[in-house]
Amino acid sequence: MLGPLDPLINFILEPYFFSPFIYPGLTIGLVVLLTLIWAERKMAAKVQLRYGPLYVSKQIGGALQMIADALRFFFQEPIIPRQVDKIVFLATPALALTVTVLPFIFIPAAPSYVGVAVSYSLPLVLALGALIPVVIILMAWGANNKFTLVGGIREAFMTVGYEVALFISAFAAALYYKTLDLSVMVEKQASLGLPGIIINPIAGFVFFVAMLMASSKLPFDIVEGEQEIVAGPFTEYSGILYGLVMGASYLYLYVLMLVFVEMFLSGWLPVIHGLGSIYPALGGVMLFVKTYILLLFAVFLRGVYGRYRLDQALSLGWRRLVPLSLIAALWSFGLLIAGV
Amino acid sequence: MSIADRIRRNPLYSLKMHAAAIATGLRYLFAKPRMTVRYPEYVIDLGRNYRGMIRLHKDKCISCSLCAQVCPASAMKMYKLPGEKKMYPGINYQRCIFCGFCVDICPVNALEHTPVHDIAEEDMEGMIYLPLPGRFDREWKSPAEEEGGRKVKVEFDEEEGLKHEPE
Amino acid sequence: MTSQGSRSSETDMGYGPGTIKEPGFRYRPMGRDAEGMELYEIFIGPQHPASGHMRIVVRLDGDIIVNADPDIGYVHRTMEKLSETREYLKSIPLFERATIIDSANITWPYVRAVEQMLGVEAPLRAKYLRTLLAEINRISSHLYGFGLTGIFINHSTMYMWSFGDREIWVQLAEELTGARLTHTYIIPGGVRRDLPQGFKEKALKAIRYMERRLEDYMKIFVYNPVTVARFREVGVLTKNDASRLGIVGPNLRASGVHYDARIAEKYGAYPELDFEIPVMEEGDSLARLLVRIEEIKQSMRIIKQVLDKMPQGPFFADKYMRLIPPALRKHVAETGRIKLPGAFIRLKPPAGEAVARGEMGHGEVFYHIVSTGDTKPYRVRIITPAFRNVVLFRHLTRGARFMDLPVIYGSIDYFPPEGDR
Ligand code: SF4
Ligand code: SF4
Repeated sequence: MLGPLDPLINFILEPYFFSPFIYPGLTIGLVVLLTLIWAERKMAAKVQLRYGPLYVSKQIGGALQMIADALRFFFQEPIIPRQVDKIVFLATPALALTVTVLPFIFIPAAPSYVGVAVSYSLPLVLALGALIPVVIILMAWGANNKFTLVGGIREAFMTVGYEVALFISAFAAALYYKTLDLSVMVEKQASLGLPGIIINPIAGFVFFVAMLMASSKLPFDIVEGEQEIVAGPFTEYSGILYGLVMGASYLYLYVLMLVFVEMFLSGWLPVIHGLGSIYPALGGVMLFVKTYILLLFAVFLRGVYGRYRLDQALSLGWRRLVPLSLIAALWSFGLLIAGV
Repeated sequence: MSIADRIRRNPLYSLKMHAAAIATGLRYLFAKPRMTVRYPEYVIDLGRNYRGMIRLHKDKCISCSLCAQVCPASAMKMYKLPGEKKMYPGINYQRCIFCGFCVDICPVNALEHTPVHDIAEEDMEGMIYLPLPGRFDREWKSPAEEEGGRKVKVEFDEEEGLKHEPE
Repeated sequence: MTSQGSRSSETDMGYGPGTIKEPGFRYRPMGRDAEGMELYEIFIGPQHPASGHMRIVVRLDGDIIVNADPDIGYVHRTMEKLSETREYLKSIPLFERATIIDSANITWPYVRAVEQMLGVEAPLRAKYLRTLLAEINRISSHLYGFGLTGIFINHSTMYMWSFGDREIWVQLAEELTGARLTHTYIIPGGVRRDLPQGFKEKALKAIRYMERRLEDYMKIFVYNPVTVARFREVGVLTKNDASRLGIVGPNLRASGVHYDARIAEKYGAYPELDFEIPVMEEGDSLARLLVRIEEIKQSMRIIKQVLDKMPQGPFFADKYMRLIPPALRKHVAETGRIKLPGAFIRLKPPAGEAVARGEMGHGEVFYHIVSTGDTKPYRVRIITPAFRNVVLFRHLTRGARFMDLPVIYGSIDYFPPEGDR
């Protein structure tokens, strides 16, 4: 029996629509954004013996605070300073967000459920992510302010600091799976019965740290370095433009975390084997739960850490993470040769 | 070698200290205490020792004007109101710094502190309290408490530092 | 050492303030050094998330600070001049506002100088009570500095924790004096209130709580590898430079100089108490943090001893007690609150001069009072510790990285209202 809405529902559930727009894409991305920032503030508050956001919707612990904040962003006047390059200034926040959400097309959400199935999804996602710093540097240049310029330079430095380690550690893991396709990686982990983090813990660790650097979460929020350069590249932004650039960094963390879970924590497979085959959509839920828990941990670090200095973060990247990721690659290679 | 140098030289020790920091954070994430007092719902009982808003007992006052002379902020002044023979002090809360010198110098204890400080006025004139009935001799009460805020008592505690127990 | 002084030496060094005035180069003001090399000039403050009430003009060569100039005076309130217009007693609440977080310590030497001129001495119990409040203030001042140091490297937990824990000491001070920050507790001749009932138990509980919390501070902040990386070997002040520049307080002691006005001046109850002056040799920002932690511990030790040894007796000089009527004297004995004699408004020290110094949380404060025998001082000179330490901005930042600036600012615990007075 065909109801009048069925074609529409079918269309929505098609992977090429559902994946980028609903899950894991924009809609859930927005939910993650709103709840994650709230959770970050709540957790930091708890560690600091405070309440955090509370008075907007008191019964549910102020969970609607972020919606209130988003509304405020919408109604706040976006000030465009006189010295900025207007087109760049206005275009870059939107561009940053676009580049951040593009990878959702290639990230599988459940077994064989992906927006555009390509066998190079891992490098594609990482490469799209690597475009974000370019946009941020453009933004910093366009805003034409001393603080944004310093912020832009910091962004450039940080990019070379983490990007190498991020790519090598990802490929080190991929080397063992002998594929660059995220879906196949999850299947490999299923057939091995082990999550990737146990097969190659070093790669997992390096990827996680590089991920924190990439999304400039503490202890690596150097680009925004409030205490020195006010808000780095975002100093001149206000209103919804600021909301966009701030949201982009959280969304990028979400993107990378999905990749991390699929590469190292066996993606949509439940911790206990065999549960996943019962109902395929359960896989998507599992993936989300794992990702979200790790996201919570990543933002919880705000309550524990201060900020590294720029050169220290760079030397961490080059002197520790890059060698470690090379060791991880050797490790994978060794495992392959040993035929484990 | 100091702990700091060990952290810098020895990566394994550094990892251990990272873990210690994260563990401390996690411990507080799941621990109970909070320091915040949610103010309008809970009002701290400041106790009799507190130097809050000042109250005049006009019947005791002997108009010696010492309080006006000692005031370091020129907040206290003597006023002669129509229909009265003597001068009485009035206070300007735009200026008062709550040092309490006026209370301490009054030879007949006509001035006293009240344990209330959360007062706001609608206009500047409202902050001047003349020795009129219902003004400077007024029995202060915290507006938050009047609107249903619960009074909490501050207690020292070895585990939680300051505890705020509803009375 | 004054702000004018720093200006003139700035031109000596060849880094004049300058803006390139070429057409089409409107928005990239840079300075040039003597060789004509371009320096990136950044103004930190007075409207900046981490400048405090001041401005720091930073000139950068790449990421390296060539010169950082503290531009002070944004909260100058002419305290020295104002004090010439008011009676001796009325200056106490005024001076308190130089360092509102440490108000007992900053007014105590002033009161002692006035007492010297008046020829009165506080009774022993008053000295113990003064010491008690001074140490409570020292702890809260250190915690305040700690919180700011934390937020300077974006460690929001340290910020919230130390401001939250400071509340306990503020509460203790409030129970003793009736006010949270501006205690106006120490007055010529003694103190204004006696020790309240049950104070000792509360203080001991607070001390035990704080000792436990300090361990957590060490884990989450001081020995957090991120903090160690940021603070160790950053802003090193050598012993030689520390004494040459006239640095005071924990900043001096972190560079290996054993000097503390509490020992040097032997005031209050300190000569009778057993405590140590923490000294460290390294002289870097981390050492300055550790010295402050150690001082908090020593202050708690002092508080314990003060409460144990607290002598019985009056808390206000007999000379002034005799001036108030017997009925009020009885009132004082019953309530434990002072009643001031009317003559107190116009204290009249004989013509002469007096100096006194004392150790605040930030370092040594010095007063020089000149009296002409009037009810108002002819001149009061205050040298606050922050004013002496402000030179460190210039000295320690040279050659440091730009991101070290907040660390150095936090570690020297500079408090702009105190420096500006
Ligand atoms: S408390 Fe102090 S400032 Fe206020 S009126 Fe009394 S003497 Fe003046
Ligand atoms: S000091 Fe006391 S008695 Fe004298 S005028 Fe003031 S309130 Fe009245």
